[in-house]
Amino acid sequence: MSDTMQSPAGQEEARYRALQAVDPRAPSALETFTTGLHDESWRVRHAAAEGLRRVPDAPGVTARLISVLGERGETGARNAAAEALAGMGPVAVPPLVHLLEHEDPDQRKLAADILGQLGRPEVEDVLLRALSDDDLNVRVAAAEALGRMGGDAAARALEGLLDAPTLLLRLAALEGLASLKRAPPLERVMALVEDPGVQRSALRLLGLYAPGVATERICRALASPVRSVREAALVALGKQAVGLGPYERGELDAVARSVLSGIPGVTAHVAQALDGDDVRVRAGALVAAGALGEASLAVAVAEVAREDRLLREVLFTLGQLGPEGRRLLLGSMGTLSLPARTVAAEALVLLVDSTSVPELCALLEWAEDDLRAVVVRALGRTHSPDAVAPLVELLSDPTLSAMAARALEQLTVAHPLEALAALEAAVEQRTTPAAVAVLGRLGGARVLPVLRRIARDEDASWRAAAVEAAGRADGEAGLELARGALADESPKVRIAAVRSLGQQGGREAATFLGLALKDEDRGVRVAAVEAVGVAGAKERSPDLEALVRHGDGALAMLAVRALTKLGTVGTGVLWDALSHHDAEVVKAALPALGSAEASADGAALAMSLLGHPRWDVRVAAARVLGGMGRPECLPALQQAMSVEQDALAQVALAEAVVRLSGR
Amino acid sequence: MPRFDEGRPEMTLEEFRLLRDHVYAHCGILIHENMKFVMERRLWPRLEALGIQDFGSYHRYLRYDAQRSAELEAAVESLTTHETYFFREPAQLKAFCEELVPILEKRNAHTRRLRLWSAGCSSGEEAYTLAMLLKESGRFDDWDVEVLGTDLSRRVLAVARRAEYGPSALRATPPDLLERYFIPVGVNRVRVRDDVKAWVNFGHHNLSDVAGSQLVPRSDVVFCRNVMIYFDLAARRRVLGVIRDRLCPGGYLLLGHAENLLSLGADFELVHLKGDLVYRRPELPGGEGR
Repeated sequence: MSDTMQSPAGQEEARYRALQAVDPRAPSALETFTTGLHDESWRVRHAAAEGLRRVPDAPGVTARLISVLGERGETGARNAAAEALAGMGPVAVPPLVHLLEHEDPDQRKLAADILGQLGRPEVEDVLLRALSDDDLNVRVAAAEALGRMGGDAAARALEGLLDAPTLLLRLAALEGLASLKRAPPLERVMALVEDPGVQRSALRLLGLYAPGVATERICRALASPVRSVREAALVALGKQAVGLGPYERGELDAVARSVLSGIPGVTAHVAQALDGDDVRVRAGALVAAGALGEASLAVAVAEVAREDRLLREVLFTLGQLGPEGRRLLLGSMGTLSLPARTVAAEALVLLVDSTSVPELCALLEWAEDDLRAVVVRALGRTHSPDAVAPLVELLSDPTLSAMAARALEQLTVAHPLEALAALEAAVEQRTTPAAVAVLGRLGGARVLPVLRRIARDEDASWRAAAVEAAGRADGEAGLELARGALADESPKVRIAAVRSLGQQGGREAATFLGLALKDEDRGVRVAAVEAVGVAGAKERSPDLEALVRHGDGALAMLAVRALTKLGTVGTGVLWDALSHHDAEVVKAALPALGSAEASADGAALAMSLLGHPRWDVRVAAARVLGGMGRPECLPALQQAMSVEQDALAQVALAEAVVRLSGR
Repeated sequence: MPRFDEGRPEMTLEEFRLLRDHVYAHCGILIHENMKFVMERRLWPRLEALGIQDFGSYHRYLRYDAQRSAELEAAVESLTTHETYFFREPAQLKAFCEELVPILEKRNAHTRRLRLWSAGCSSGEEAYTLAMLLKESGRFDDWDVEVLGTDLSRRVLAVARRAEYGPSALRATPPDLLERYFIPVGVNRVRVRDDVKAWVNFGHHNLSDVAGSQLVPRSDVVFCRNVMIYFDLAARRRVLGVIRDRLCPGGYLLLGHAENLLSLGADFELVHLKGDLVYRRPELPGGEGR
């Protein structure tokens, strides 16, 4: 044997692999795995516990595991057996309930622990009885188990334990009620907050109450010299703030502000908590920081954005820190982490005015696109003519050009001449074709000569931009340029022509779109299908109907949408669409079922889709049926609801049932 | 006062799930339902950039458009947090230097070759940090050393190759190391020195792509810190399979301080260092595969 295999690690590996290789159906598997439960290595014990779950004789396995629980002195084996039992599911419930009657309190405690992990509601009564066990540890274990999975009776029982003479039971009751999200009468918890032994658990439970008295008590706890108490208070404060509407949140903030502002050194405590490890503490610290409105916390607040889950609260809090807080952020941009910088920039957008352009342009030096996107939006909001030049320059950035174009549109309202001059200069200097598009949109007929010239450019991107821009600038000239562009050798230009024709509408455009629907390039055909719908070209409906059967999901889906927009979807086409292999085509067709023409067969078709393998199709079908107002569909919807597994589809079905039942 | 998000489209739960499933199928990254707000916020700029009005249309764009592959990458880039900095999680790095580096030197003395993989390296700070630490140890000066940094995002890889950083990336860098391994290149900015860069390579890699992982060389140590948090159990198992495959037998896996392999099976051994817990791919019987 090699050295490796003789080493302790090698031997452990060998035992681990040997267990993994055991066939769970073999007659000796039960004993082999049971032996493995007693191994010195946790990895081997874990493998044994997993192996036991795969042995087909579940009752036999459960009985064996229960016997291992009784092996005093074999702590590792007992824990592994408990782990295995917790993973066995309902089959483990009867023997564990039986074990709750064992004479050894240690056994009864283990039984309660595992029943809690199994989380089966049917054992609630048994665990409630265990609350009267002679042994304190069993009573505590039962209370903890009820806190994991109990219902109304469990909550009432735990509430009854709040006055228990034993600290451990009071603690288990408080923690259990918090876990069950059951709030007992407020005065009972308020009394317990004064008990140092259970103060932290009581504080956390206070987080379940509406803003008001509970908020006040929670915030007073932030004066505690004990960090863990302050953290428990912050967890509660964060919990209280979750899901509040604007009015209730305002109430919470007002109460918190009045208490916190009187606590010396609270800002330092909040700053420390904002930098803590526990996400729940940080969430509460954000609420406290916002209520305090303390601008000096702005950087620490922004840094909490490193935790994705708290992004919403960070943005809300930054909004509460006022202009001074946002100015502090601006000054700290260089040292903030990337996520903090992004939210700081968002906050900045609200602050900008006509003097902010230089600061914003400095921020554009940062490499991150998401941050730069925010800055582009902010530039548009400055209403300053100084923002025109940087925005025109940004039109050449592929990631930002669409946003820069929209920001320029905002600026053009106040400074049309400056914007047009800058755009014309950019076009003359061939900065970017994107400038042509914006020029056409903002300049109207006066820029047509420029657009006609560019439509003959040797670069296809420039020709395409000119053709599309001309369509927006002037209908007649747009149509003329688009017709020529349909014969362009570049698909990019033909797509621009198709889009322009879609915007124009009319008989002539419809004729040209008919040609584009047969284009050799898929991209042109896709654009043409969309354009037919936009143009309202009903005469092209037969072409679209043929495309509904196309194997390319994009073409088929767009054809259905275009036909729906034109109002020319026939039952035959619908049937084709609804049996398409691509779920997006099916979903696109579903809304058309409600139309007058299709409604006779539509209900039957939609009902057939309630059994579709895709959840999103079932959701769409339920919504359509709900909107059709045909009570005869009710039984089918109810039947579908009774077997539906998907949560979103269940909601859609329930809504449809309610709508139809109410008619 | 206007809201931060005025005029922006909201994401319905249905759109969220369609987009989430699409991203998951592409790279195994799972976005939980409580992160809908984050997804909505991170994808807004993509909709704005493309001129798309709502998230349903964006989903169709991701499915059908000719640019869909590039856009999917851009979407995933937006959804993942590229938050990293030099010398992050110093306790683990200390354990690496003081306990693992001597073992690696001894183990590989006959080949004088060392390979480290920084999986999910983002903008390169971790990969360069590792190279600096190896330099700092003084044990590998004439060895064949490579630290490979890989990431799903091509954009952050471009930043990594540029190797220029600002104060935020350097906030945990000890001053003496800042002086030794960086060159000032402008106001508040520095560049990693060439001799460090010479030990570091970067490449694009989707950790969920089992076939593509063959391009990653067998490594002595894999740092995969704060990457698993994005994956669900199934994807974690798949990624761990890839990592295990690309680790030399006896090689080490270092995860972020909040991550562990509990409930993921035990294809790795837990190794208790004095300063940290790390994982090790078990040696093959007889030492084969070394």
